[in-house]
Amino acid sequence: MDTLKEDLKKQIIEQLNLEEITPADIADDVLLFNDSGLGLDSIDALELIVLLEKYHGIQVTNPDEGKEAFKSIDTMAEYIRKRKS
Amino acid sequence: MFYISAASTISHQPTFQNAGFSGMIVPLAAESILISPDYKRFIEAGLLRRMSKILRMSVACSKDCLEQAGVEQPDAIVVGTGLGCLQDTEKFLNHSITIEGLLPPTSFIQSTHNTMAGQISLSIGNHGYNMTHTQNSLSFEHALQDAMLLLTEGENDILAGAADEYIEILTEISCHLNVYPRSPLTSAASFFLLSSKEKSGTLAQIKDVATFGLVNSIPDTILALLAENETNADALDLVLFAGNISNDLTIAGVDPDKSLDYKNLSGIYPTASAFALHYAVDRMQQDKSIRNVLICNALIKSNLGLTLLQAIEA
Repeated sequence: MDTLKEDLKKQIIEQLNLEEITPADIADDVLLFNDSGLGLDSIDALELIVLLEKYHGIQVTNPDEGKEAFKSIDTMAEYIRKRKS
Repeated sequence: MFYISAASTISHQPTFQNAGFSGMIVPLAAESILISPDYKRFIEAGLLRRMSKILRMSVACSKDCLEQAGVEQPDAIVVGTGLGCLQDTEKFLNHSITIEGLLPPTSFIQSTHNTMAGQISLSIGNHGYNMTHTQNSLSFEHALQDAMLLLTEGENDILAGAADEYIEILTEISCHLNVYPRSPLTSAASFFLLSSKEKSGTLAQIKDVATFGLVNSIPDTILALLAENETNADALDLVLFAGNISNDLTIAGVDPDKSLDYKNLSGIYPTASAFALHYAVDRMQQDKSIRNVLICNALIKSNLGLTLLQAIEA
C-alpha cells in the first residue's frame, strides 16, 4: 500500500469535509474534479492548495502545475514526490 | 396589512415540521441540544458538507417555508442575525492563529453575516433583493420591518427570517463577563413567508413591528404602540416577552396570567424573538380564542422590539 496516497485520501476527506466518504471509496485514478469522480469545485481547489502547504510544505505557485497535479490521487502523489526530490 | 403565509423553525425544541408544537413543549433543560432534521432532504450533499450549523438551519427552514406556502421564488430574502456565522468565524480565526502560510478559504468565505441570505439565494436560484440585518437583539425585528417595507412597495411574497448559532466560547465569554443566564444559550433559525395578500393557508397577520433604542419607559412605549394600532392592553390575549420586564408589563396593564417569558422555551440567542413569532402563530392556530398577541423583546433592556400580531378573521 502506498502510504502517501492513503494519507492524501485521509487529508482530502478531512480538509474538504467529505461526509460519508472513506479512503477506500477514493480510487487512486479517479478524477477529483469530475462529476463521475469526487465532483470537487473551484473552492475545493483552493482547499487542496492549502492542504499541500499544510501537510506537505509545498507551495503551488504555478496555476498550470496545480491543474495537472490535482487531477487524481495518483497525480497528486506524483507531484508531491517530484517537488520533494 | 402583512400576512404570514408559512413559518418554519429549527431549534432546541421539536418545532420543525411540527404544527401544534406550542402545546407540547416545556421549558428547556440546561443540557438541551439542537434538534436537527435530516438536512439531506433539503440540501444537496455537495453543498451540505461545507455548511455550518447556522447555514444548514437557515437553508432547510427557508425551503420548508417555501414548500408550505407553495411559492417557488420569493420576491426577496431578508435575514436578521445578531452574531452571524460564529462556527466559521471561529474556525477561520483559529486557523489564522495556528497555521502559518495559506489559510483555508471556505471558513473565511462563509464567516460573514450575509452568508445565510446568500446560501438561501444560491440554493433556490433566487435573484431578488437579498439583505441581512444585524442589529444585536433587534436584528429580527429590523428584518421584519424591511420585509414589510418591500410588501408596502408592491412586492408579493418575502422570505424573512432569523438565525443565530451557539458555539462553546459564548459560555466562556459569559463566565468572563460574570453573566450567568438562567436559560441556556442556544442555536435556532426561524423563517417566515410574508405576503401582501391573504391566502387560503395564511396563519396570522402582522399589524405592526417597532424597534426602540435607549428606551426610557417600557410601559409608555408599549401603550403608545397599542394606541397607534387602535387597541389596548385589555385586548391582548397573549404577551410573549424576553428580558426582565414583568413589572413593566404589569404597569402597562398586561394581565400577568396572559404573559409568558419565551426565553424559557427558546433559550437565549440574539434573534430569539423569531422563535417567539413562530410560537405565537402556532398558539393562534391551536387556540382560536387567541386573537391578539404582543411580542416584547427586551433581551437587552435598552433595546425594545415590539411585534403586534392578529389572528385571521374566520
